[in-house]
Amino acid sequence: MSNTMRKVRSPGAGETAAHTVAHKPLRRFSIVLQSIWRRGEGKFTLIVLTLWLAVALVSLVWTPQSLWTTDGYHVWAKPSASHWLGTDGTGADVFSWLMAGSRTNLLIVVLTVVLSAVWGLALVAAMVARTPALAGTSVVVVDALISIPTVLIALILAVPLGASIAVIVVACGFGYGLNLARVARPAALLAARSAYVESARANGASGWRVLVSHIIPNILPVLAVQLSLSAGTAVLAESGLTYLGIGVPSGVPSWGHSLATSVKLINVFPLTVLWPGLIVTMVVVALNVFGDVLRDAVDPVASPALRQTVAVASDARNTGVTETAEADGEEDER
Amino acid sequence: MSQDNGAHAESGATGATTDASLASRAKNPKKNGPKWWLISLIAVIVAVAVVIGVTLAYAKKDNGTASGNGAAQASTVTIGLKLAPTNLDIRNTAGSALDQILIGNVYEGIVARDSKNQVTPAIASSWEESKDGLTYTFHLNKNMVFSNGDTLDAEDVAWSINELIAKQYHDADALEAVSKVEAKDADTVVITLKTPNSNLLWTLTGRAGLVFDKDAKYDLKTQAVGSGPYTVAKFVENDSITLKANEKYWGKNKAKTPTIVVKYLADDNAAVNALKSGDVQVLAPITENLAEPFTSDPSKYVVKAGDGTDKYVLGFNNASGSKLADKRIRQAIRYAINHDELIASRGGADKALGGPIPSLDPGYEDLTDLYPYDQDKAKSLMAAVGYSEDKPLELTLTYANIYGTELGDQLRSQLKPIGIDLKVNVVEFSTWLQDVYTNHDFDISLVDHNESHDFYTWTDPTYYFGYDNKDVQKLYAEGIAATTDKERDAKFAEAAKLISEDAPADWLFNYRITTATAKGVEGFPFDLNQTVLPLYNVTYTK
Repeated sequence: MSNTMRKVRSPGAGETAAHTVAHKPLRRFSIVLQSIWRRGEGKFTLIVLTLWLAVALVSLVWTPQSLWTTDGYHVWAKPSASHWLGTDGTGADVFSWLMAGSRTNLLIVVLTVVLSAVWGLALVAAMVARTPALAGTSVVVVDALISIPTVLIALILAVPLGASIAVIVVACGFGYGLNLARVARPAALLAARSAYVESARANGASGWRVLVSHIIPNILPVLAVQLSLSAGTAVLAESGLTYLGIGVPSGVPSWGHSLATSVKLINVFPLTVLWPGLIVTMVVVALNVFGDVLRDAVDPVASPALRQTVAVASDARNTGVTETAEADGEEDER
Repeated sequence: MSQDNGAHAESGATGATTDASLASRAKNPKKNGPKWWLISLIAVIVAVAVVIGVTLAYAKKDNGTASGNGAAQASTVTIGLKLAPTNLDIRNTAGSALDQILIGNVYEGIVARDSKNQVTPAIASSWEESKDGLTYTFHLNKNMVFSNGDTLDAEDVAWSINELIAKQYHDADALEAVSKVEAKDADTVVITLKTPNSNLLWTLTGRAGLVFDKDAKYDLKTQAVGSGPYTVAKFVENDSITLKANEKYWGKNKAKTPTIVVKYLADDNAAVNALKSGDVQVLAPITENLAEPFTSDPSKYVVKAGDGTDKYVLGFNNASGSKLADKRIRQAIRYAINHDELIASRGGADKALGGPIPSLDPGYEDLTDLYPYDQDKAKSLMAAVGYSEDKPLELTLTYANIYGTELGDQLRSQLKPIGIDLKVNVVEFSTWLQDVYTNHDFDISLVDHNESHDFYTWTDPTYYFGYDNKDVQKLYAEGIAATTDKERDAKFAEAAKLISEDAPADWLFNYRITTATAKGVEGFPFDLNQTVLPLYNVTYTK
């Protein structure tokens, strides 16, 4: 309903609205960041994730040593001035490989999150569809598919694809999308059967429109938590699948690669396993916590500062339609 | 009211009250109340678990040493090996794991192999070869019996070899030259050949020459009746084999330890822990790098590398149309590889190998000087074909994951400066068999050819390297037909040199098996112990 109202609002009111809207995303973003930063665990996640991003970018142009410099006479060396974290079994620099690995893991995480979001939302749409046959079948299909272990999917994919990043992304994206759909379904259903969707539909809003402007905003908190969990699990899955030999191919740096090559000699050179292990742990914890703090930070119910921006926007719009902050908050993002 | 979750339930509420209650909710998020009692409970549980775990681990260790703490020699020695046989059927099941554990321990051959890969007497105490190399006469020992009490005589020997040929059991093709095997009398067996074969005696030290009891009926897959110093008391698939001394044993190699348990430890770290904790007294093989904790503790352990016939072959695809059909590229690769560095990174036990024949096989000579490490030469050869570091030739190396990723990574680094962009494709062994071995679909392959006397693969143009050299084939045929070992060795050596010069492959190194034992273990063979592992001499004194 609000959408139709917006289209026909008077030009006089529109001028002020446009002004406010232009600055709003930035302001909201900084409010969200600040409220994350104010929490102890929020600081931790922000620092770790920013560092990750920065290291990944730097590794594109610079690593302390070339990845392809191997010195067979100094394998499994202890940390030193020239090799900050020592060398691996080929005599290559562990620090450089871990740096370069951060960009591969970042790529995998981003692709997995995007794929699982798209696939999960498509399933959500099917599960809350107005066609009972489609909704019923998709619920059963999701329940059935969710029982297939991700590792099994990866193993099957590895038959035609061999060891490749695609195996990790597709297997994880598929599995986590199912989880996401299942967890988000109740909230989505509540929104889909609500009175305002009824009225939007009565006004001729398409299914796509309903999904984008009503259902997705309502499941955003669930999405934030689920996707960040998926991101964390994707990092773990990368390590696991690479260890099994079906993940990142040989010669592509990744944390899983560093772990897999050093874990064979964990009894002899435990230090070399420690570094990638620590990094993976830190990043996974940061990603998991990030979902939690992000949900709280973007939730107008929990954040007075965020509600302030919503209130300002509502005033500026001045449409006369009474809506709650919760239902309205996300809609106003554009 | 504001506690209701329904998004539109509050539409009637005024902004002020909603905000106030929301703000109060935001100030007191439920999860912010740390549950100290819960955290301390978890901490206590963790601490208790750690204490119990450590205590148990140490208790187990004490038991382990206590049991071996007898004043005299231990009655049981446990040995950790790596590759497990799937069953005991040495007639039909391939794989050197069976040869390793059964030949010389449970079954005996007409002749045997010593640790230098030379032929020694076993069931036959002596033999003669006719001048034309077509007739071999074997004189057997007297009063031989199988572990079930049956006598072993020439009948059993002739029957065993004839059965092998007639039923085409595993390794039967090694006896293609044999025309007949006869028991002349109870102590004499005569083997007649169609054409001379200078490898015959060595072949008979393996599966082809094993002697079985003609009259015994038993399930070959789970039992073994032989004439060796041990019998199989228990076989657990993929896990362990228990050998008990054969009370009826007839010969000189009487078992010194009554019970030997062989455990198969596929996981390297589990293997290391087993030796550390005293679960096993011997580990073979172990990598030089993994053995580091044992090497650095010589008061408790002995670590030693033994000679073997394992050749790490970087095989090129020599078929016409292959990217490596140009000899200059193959030579460049051989010059560019720093073998010493590869060996050093693996712990330094392995030996450089310049050609197809390892030091324990006939015809060996040191060929490492043919292609010494010389990057400039490699670069100029690549430049002559039109490649450089800026304009590299793309090649794919395909090999099985059992060899680890390190070799591929190192080769890529070593070949990069000469203008080869090496893509490393580490695959399952079955994929390697399918793509490389069967379909010849590869540029470069890496595999450990561990068999002894496998020089013939270079004379077979249909073998996966696709190497076809008429001179080599002629020399090999002459060597096989030779009637003296000296003549054979000379022919093989000449052929091996021709092959190495052609550079149809690079021989990265001759892998030497590292064995780690607890101090006090005596008589365990170090050389060739992945194929020939006589255990009768093994003792353990703590």
